[in-house]
Amino acid sequence: MSAPTPKGVLTTPIFKNNPIALQILGICSALAVTSSMSVSLVMTLAVIFVTAFSNLFVSLIRHHIPSSIRIIVQMTIIASLVIVVDQILKAYAYEMSKQLSVFVGLIITNCIVMGRAEGFAMTNSPGLSFLDGVGNGLGYGFILMTVGFVRELLGSGSVFGVTVLETVQNGGWYVPNGLLLLPPSAFFIIGLIIWVLRAVNPEQIEETEFKMKENSQPKEAV
Amino acid sequence: MGIRQTLDNLEPHFHKGGKYEKFYPLYEAVDTIFYSPPSVTKTTAHVRDGIDLKRIMITVWLCTFPAMFFGMWNAGWQANLAIADGYGALGGWREAIVMTLAGSHDPGSLWANFVLGATYFLPIYLVTFVVGGFWEVLFAVKRGHEVNEGFFVTSVLYALILPATIPLWQVALGITFGVVIGKEIFGGTGKNFLNPALTGRAFLYFAYPAQISGDAVWVAADGFTGATPLSTAFQSGMAALSEQYSWWDAFLGFIPGSVGETSTLAILIGAAVLLWTKIASWRIMLGVFLGMVATSFLFNLMGSDTNPMFAMPWYWHLAVGGFAFGMVFMATDPVSASMTNPGRLIFGILIGVMTVLIRVVNPAFPEGIMLAILFANLFAPLIDHFFVQANIKRRMQRTGVPAEETA
Amino acid sequence: MAQSNNSIKKILTVAFALCIVCSIIVSTAAVALRSKQQLNQELDRKSNILSVAGLYEPGTDIEEAFQQVTPRVVDLRTGEYTDQFDPATYDSFQAAKDPAQSRTLSGEKDIAGLSRQENYSTVYLVGDPDDPEQVILPIRGQGLWGLMRGYLAVQGDGNTIEGITFYSHSETPGLGGEVDNPRWKAQWEGKEIYADADSAQPAIQLVKGGASDETEVDALSGASLTSNGVTNLVQFWLSPEGFGEYLARFRSGVDREEVQGASTDQTEGA
Repeated sequence: MSAPTPKGVLTTPIFKNNPIALQILGICSALAVTSSMSVSLVMTLAVIFVTAFSNLFVSLIRHHIPSSIRIIVQMTIIASLVIVVDQILKAYAYEMSKQLSVFVGLIITNCIVMGRAEGFAMTNSPGLSFLDGVGNGLGYGFILMTVGFVRELLGSGSVFGVTVLETVQNGGWYVPNGLLLLPPSAFFIIGLIIWVLRAVNPEQIEETEFKMKENSQPKEAV
Repeated sequence: MGIRQTLDNLEPHFHKGGKYEKFYPLYEAVDTIFYSPPSVTKTTAHVRDGIDLKRIMITVWLCTFPAMFFGMWNAGWQANLAIADGYGALGGWREAIVMTLAGSHDPGSLWANFVLGATYFLPIYLVTFVVGGFWEVLFAVKRGHEVNEGFFVTSVLYALILPATIPLWQVALGITFGVVIGKEIFGGTGKNFLNPALTGRAFLYFAYPAQISGDAVWVAADGFTGATPLSTAFQSGMAALSEQYSWWDAFLGFIPGSVGETSTLAILIGAAVLLWTKIASWRIMLGVFLGMVATSFLFNLMGSDTNPMFAMPWYWHLAVGGFAFGMVFMATDPVSASMTNPGRLIFGILIGVMTVLIRVVNPAFPEGIMLAILFANLFAPLIDHFFVQANIKRRMQRTGVPAEETA
Repeated sequence: MAQSNNSIKKILTVAFALCIVCSIIVSTAAVALRSKQQLNQELDRKSNILSVAGLYEPGTDIEEAFQQVTPRVVDLRTGEYTDQFDPATYDSFQAAKDPAQSRTLSGEKDIAGLSRQENYSTVYLVGDPDDPEQVILPIRGQGLWGLMRGYLAVQGDGNTIEGITFYSHSETPGLGGEVDNPRWKAQWEGKEIYADADSAQPAIQLVKGGASDETEVDALSGASLTSNGVTNLVQFWLSPEGFGEYLARFRSGVDREEVQGASTDQTEGA
């Protein structure tokens, strides 16, 4: 891999090396919080904040972190940031934090944050690490917002809480799709996003593990 | 030989470099409807037999006919009974057709019932066929494989497990989901691990529950609400059920329900043909049946004061809901079921047990066979894996020679 | 530097310093924001109460609107007010778990699926506490998937319903989850709890296929089990097991004096 550039670390995680779509990390929160767009947005901002600053702080002290306790040091920094975010949300966005419930706290276990701290911030300068954190947060947010858009529009007929399709329950014509209100539907949507991304960027497709031979000859067919 | 010649004349256009190269799968599909495929097995280790996938699928398709025709009559009969009781007909273009062809809503007339049922079932089937066929051909053209006849079966099965009154746009969405998500993204027929017809129905079940479950959807009459026998038992107990319908009503199919699933008898006729031609695995059917009987016996013995479903005996489980249809047509899908013989038995038992478990214990879903089969589909590869491994171990012990790496 | 990083001394220093810094940050955030968070929780509860009473619209100043609401603790067994507990801090959910302050419900009586019920509960009086326009009762009970919690607002006659709301439930979105739907909740307004003045058992219930009189409410379509749950919990809390004794005071004009007399010396702000 060539040396990371500021622009590169900021933009590649969005489409080229998306943490959810290519690395399949951070799926659980992507399922849980995406039933409405405003909640997805708050979650995205929280994750961007945590990845960016955890990367920054880990990178700042990277020369002083003893390798034997580096994971726990990273965890402590991430956990502190997450608690701060959680407290702020509870104080200034109470409705949001009620809907996000435990999932803000669970950012601690979000593999993206940990993965970037260990994989990038430990070996790169603070500025780059910060941008990498923002970039990966954006990549996460891109998926979250897309899934949130589909789920809220088709599931509740609205976008950011503003009614777009008047639902039957409220006297309109649109029959909302109940499946999209259930968390597992995000699996399908993420799967479809991965399909689209890999159709556009064929280099993301994994190599097949084996291929069946057509009309194999007697010797080969043993 | 006119058809052969026409086809042969057209053929070059569809080959590489021809005008319609992209549409070769379509040509191939039409060709093989009339004649056996031009490419036949040339190499070793193959059974040469007159039967091919196309014929298997058409046999299955024919086997659904008793259930299908009875279902159309029954859907019309249920609706006409309600209309005779004073409920309004649903009206629209269906009403116009019924009036033209049958002229009345007489529940005593075989023809009137059949026509009314057909005006509901045929559009569902048509939409399924056109929309599902569209996706099938699209993927075939795009990926360059032939159009698969498995779709014949998928579409008829899917249409038969829907209630008559379901909106047609939901039918289209459901089959789209079933074909694309349930089958094509895994590589098409033969590579799907879920039953596409059930995947489509499960999608509708969770996405639009109001139009596929509850009390108002089964009978095509305005404002009429009639629970299926299964939900009657679920809500009011066995006594209320046997007051309303006799077991013979349920077995013969004179009950409200999805179009093709009401008559256990008609389904069993199809089952007899499937078993006689050895197209469906008797092990799977037996497994499902045994699993169901054993589990319902267990619940009968345990008993419960609060949950009336505990008391439902096995012969009622067999006759109501989609159990028989699922056992005969859905569980035996050769692609998504287990492939090893002992595995098939286990696979079937798992379905039978899960079906009764969901029917009896789950508070929300009165019917369990759909989810039970999808659940067992997920386990089928694992079940096979264990039996294959066990077989390899036995062979090792017998011969002392490790099997050659054949991957 | 790489070697010295792994010396015991360095490890301890880094670990210790990190812990100090992080704990300072975390505790500062927690302490500095606590009052604001508690205020939020309080506002959330108040806005639920106000909205069931029909006094809340987006933009309303919650604190100001809540001035007209007086919380009181009621002894469910007698229907009398009590000063044993401070209504601002009394927690009926906690009380329901405490054997000393609650009772077990036997199978047949326990239609709402609670298994334990507190002896005292907090009610909210809107308007003049001595002659309230509305009484807001906390209600809860089992739905299809879990406990549903909410408030029921009853008018001063102890019989006419003003509104209902569920602030926490886990019903299926789109089906039972429609207990949240404002359109569905709106039809509760003006419904009557009891079929006639003498009956102790509430008549109000959810019915399928269209409500036909004042004690019937349309069931949630496609969600019969959630609907049964709502009927059960409403009937439970309005029966003599729940707030029945208390509501009886409002229903008969004779006893009303007594309630007023008993409460004049206890009127206090929230």
